[in-house]
Amino acid sequence: MLILRKFARDLPAMLGLGIVLVVVFLAIFGPWLAPYPQDAFQSHLLQRLKPPSAAFPFGTDNLGRDILSRVILGARGALKVALAVVGAAMAIGVPLGLLAGYTRGFVSELIMRVTDVFLALPQLILALALAQLLGASTESAMLALALTYWPYFTRIVQAETRRLSASLFVDALQGLGAGTWRILLLHILPNALSPVIVRATIGLGFTILVAAVLGFLGMGATPPDPDWGLAVAQSRTYLPGAWWFATFPGLAILVAVLGFNLLGDGLRDIADPRLRRSR
Amino acid sequence: MAGFVLRRALLVLPSLFGLLIVTFLLIRMVPADPAAALAGDNATPAQVQAIREQMGLDQPLPAQFLRYLGDVARLDFGNSSYSSRPVALDIRERLPATLELTFAALLIATVLGVPLGVIAAVHHNRWPDFLLRVLSVAGIAMAAFWLAIMLQMLFAMRLGWLPLRGQLSVGLTAPDGPTGSVLLDSLIAGRLDIFTDALRHLVLPAVTLSLGGLATITRFTRAGVLETLQKDFVGYGRAVGVPRRRLVWIYVLRNSVVATVTQIGLLFGGLIAGAVVVESIYDWPGIGSYTVQAILTADSKVMLAVTLLIGLIYAVVNILTDMVHALIDPRLRDEG
Amino acid sequence: MRLTRREAATLAFAALVAGPMRGHAATPGILVRSDGQPVNLDPHQIFDVPMMGFALNVYDGLYRYENNPPELKPWLAESHTVSEDGLDWTFKLRGGAKFHDGAPLTAEDVVFSFRRVLAIGKAPASAFLPILKPENVTAPDETTVRFRLEKAYGPFLAAIPIVAIVNAKLVQANVKGDDNGTAWLATADAGSGAYSVVAGSVTPSEKLDLERFAGHFMGWSDNPSPINKVAMRSVKETSTGVLGLMNGSIDMTDSYLPTDQVEQIQASKVARVEKHPSMRTFIIRMNNGRAPFNNLNLRKAFAHAFNYDGFINEILKGYADRDPTPLPNGIWGYPKGAQGYDYDLDKARDYLKKAQAEGFSLRTPVKIHIQSQLEQTNQAAQLFQSDLASLGVRLQIVADTWANISTNVAAADSSPDMWIHWVSTYFVDPENWIGQMYDSQFHGTWKASSFYKNPKVDELLRRARGLVKQEERAPLYEEATKLIMADCVDVWIYNTVELRGVSNRVGGYRFCPVGGGGEMRWLQLKA
Repeated sequence: MLILRKFARDLPAMLGLGIVLVVVFLAIFGPWLAPYPQDAFQSHLLQRLKPPSAAFPFGTDNLGRDILSRVILGARGALKVALAVVGAAMAIGVPLGLLAGYTRGFVSELIMRVTDVFLALPQLILALALAQLLGASTESAMLALALTYWPYFTRIVQAETRRLSASLFVDALQGLGAGTWRILLLHILPNALSPVIVRATIGLGFTILVAAVLGFLGMGATPPDPDWGLAVAQSRTYLPGAWWFATFPGLAILVAVLGFNLLGDGLRDIADPRLRRSR
Repeated sequence: MAGFVLRRALLVLPSLFGLLIVTFLLIRMVPADPAAALAGDNATPAQVQAIREQMGLDQPLPAQFLRYLGDVARLDFGNSSYSSRPVALDIRERLPATLELTFAALLIATVLGVPLGVIAAVHHNRWPDFLLRVLSVAGIAMAAFWLAIMLQMLFAMRLGWLPLRGQLSVGLTAPDGPTGSVLLDSLIAGRLDIFTDALRHLVLPAVTLSLGGLATITRFTRAGVLETLQKDFVGYGRAVGVPRRRLVWIYVLRNSVVATVTQIGLLFGGLIAGAVVVESIYDWPGIGSYTVQAILTADSKVMLAVTLLIGLIYAVVNILTDMVHALIDPRLRDEG
Repeated sequence: MRLTRREAATLAFAALVAGPMRGHAATPGILVRSDGQPVNLDPHQIFDVPMMGFALNVYDGLYRYENNPPELKPWLAESHTVSEDGLDWTFKLRGGAKFHDGAPLTAEDVVFSFRRVLAIGKAPASAFLPILKPENVTAPDETTVRFRLEKAYGPFLAAIPIVAIVNAKLVQANVKGDDNGTAWLATADAGSGAYSVVAGSVTPSEKLDLERFAGHFMGWSDNPSPINKVAMRSVKETSTGVLGLMNGSIDMTDSYLPTDQVEQIQASKVARVEKHPSMRTFIIRMNNGRAPFNNLNLRKAFAHAFNYDGFINEILKGYADRDPTPLPNGIWGYPKGAQGYDYDLDKARDYLKKAQAEGFSLRTPVKIHIQSQLEQTNQAAQLFQSDLASLGVRLQIVADTWANISTNVAAADSSPDMWIHWVSTYFVDPENWIGQMYDSQFHGTWKASSFYKNPKVDELLRRARGLVKQEERAPLYEEATKLIMADCVDVWIYNTVELRGVSNRVGGYRFCPVGGGGEMRWLQLKA
């Protein structure tokens, strides 16, 4: 309870939680909330690029579709991409990091060298190659992002694990005869969690943004997906005139990423055992 | 220390070799090849095939890889399919511009980000912290191309303070120099007018590129300082009467920067990738826009060379990061 | 006046965007073009729109297209003769032309240039490779060039302007190994054109400077105050180019300005939009070589389901001319009174029913590949998708790149169901369009990616290709076009209007569909 109360006092974290809840809500109920849900794919040529008005609070896009509806409908895709990529990257990266940090010798070396290879692999080129192999789609973009993102977790967890496994309490646990995985999962991992959470929250935002860049290069979401990044990319041709076309999907990205990050910061503060003890 | 550096450097070699294999396979598995586009509009299928053979695209993969390894060993990356120019030459001409941009962005991000992170941590959970956290996250979340266009509108169009695009005004020519960087070479040549012009052109792209990094650095510094503030020595320091300001900005900060330094290292590679978008909006003549062109035209030699280059930069930065770690925290030294 | 918060925000933004511009950054005496440069400056390696914008200024050819509609005019050659069988062509040079280094341009340079094009074998060679052997280009004397073709080729003269004449001695001096001087000429100038490249100014794909060549063989009497210095800068984003045009730092954009930008440029007072109908057609290809588009009724259903007028009038704001045929408007060989297919969802529904009776299933999605860098292909696909959805047809859009598509069209099986592209004018001859698009011998190239095969059409096109006289060829092309249209091979949409943003300080602008108005000999800069 103490934790919750402390969390509730953290204004940005509450703001972040609020935003994340809204995004999740929109992702689930978007099709029922959007004023023109059929605008996900239907075009209306006679009302192209109309500035914001009462009927279209965010204006209309290059094919006359309501931008507000498309922003609402885009939440699901954004959430799906962000969670899937970061989840997959953590699932690969964290166990490898624990293993590499705790063990010495060949296995550890091998993991870290492979990590280096993937860390050095430029995301765009990998994404391109996968898009060409599997067809340009959100799925191949997600795979490319996950494949280039896990090394960040490995490196962070490895560094933390190495630091922690040198500490007295691990010696003590080993002395007591605790198993390796038990030490790793129950004792080291919780202590290494705070940088992982910080990285994961950054990762959620980062993923949405890189997915937007991939959309911009034609390797991410495909039209007519109501994807935020794709909308911003398509809107470039109409700037500086049709500012609303770029601005509202851009703001949607900004607000969503902001929400995840602020929430992540708040979580970090309570997850960190040292902070927990002191307050 | 020297032994540590050497060992670390040797460890990079297998990584680079791994990178070579992975990228080569990926790029070669891609079906697109530039032969059809090069053959042009009125090409006959036979002509396309002839160009394909001329480019060595018809040979089996292992043979292509061996040939490629040999070329790389001689630092010969071949000629770009489109420009017919040696890829190595193109990269040598363009890399300084990207490094200029990236260093400027990193400088802005670090100089602003570290103090902001400390301020946020010191005022933990009070309004400066809230404000900085929201602002710094907004920096990450802003799509670079949108921000870039807004900056162009404000500073180049409305106010007319800064140039819209490019690296140098029309009519000026960069002096020849040893570095290839317009800024450094114009300083060496004593051409202050060109230096100022180039600096003015650098401002908007560097600021645009720095925002993502600024946010990351602020966040990690804040996290690091917060953690250090909980340590015992801070309490002792306070108890023996070390002034609070000195305690925070010197002792605490020094003990908190490990994570930040790692991030700066990782950021460098990220910034080079981020340069892709920024360079194309501001027409900055670096390797970012060059890579986009290569990707879209399936110019595989350029893609391979750029991948290797970014890998190499990554490796070097990683070694430097480890050295800084070792300097800050001597315990890490003997572990490699 | 009371403002809602939204109105206030809009106003604030408008003030930021549309407020008075202070950055009047025009460069005195220098024309700044943002339409970039070819990826490689060698006119024998690359042949695309940026190359034409460059080569028309830096190089000369034997003949040149001018005006709109384009007329073929003698240029370095003063005349030519052709034998009755169409095999022997003799060009007489005008004489007196000089290269930028001062060397005289002779018949030897012409022979060298044609042989070099054939030896390199890239884009500019494709019209010549099947009909011309290098040893059959000869120079009997300093001002005469002879060609002996392997077989008669109707479009030969129309294709002659493709080959830029380079300075033979200069190129030969820079050959490395067996590279034909390709590495050197990629960033150098070996031309005789009205402008020359300023040495040391070239950064590939980014920038280069040109200066006027006072000794050009055509002289400068028709332009009393020509532009002496030109800066070519590659601007990659449309928005940057438009902003540059409006603050004066750019004088000419490329000629693909999006139609939605026209209005604000026209309103800006510092620049205008040059609008010229051009010979570039916009097409949605259907892969006739396999299911589902090997079915005529399905092709007709699709052709009736595209909203031509909506696309042209609403999305392109009328800056395009409806063209129901595969040939550009105004070219000879165009069938008079061609009807084509109109937007009629009832007809589409009828044809769709017939197609379903013949085995087409609504459950299988049809895939259309767009070029994701080109926003218009995306808009056309989405519009099409929207209408087809109302018929129950699922059109799936696949984002793709030119490099990938032009590789996949090698065979009917790997080629997309549908894709979207333009066909530009490289030479003004029906061969440039229907000849290479629908003769089955070109299957495997992007232009023939419909995989259409009709022996009657093949025969007509081949006969027309082997004749020299236009009046004999025209009826054959007309007949072939009618057959192709009856088979509803593709969805033919429009004929382009090229839009180029030009600063008001630039005068003397002339347009020709070949080169898209990039030639600068007539331009002037007002103070």
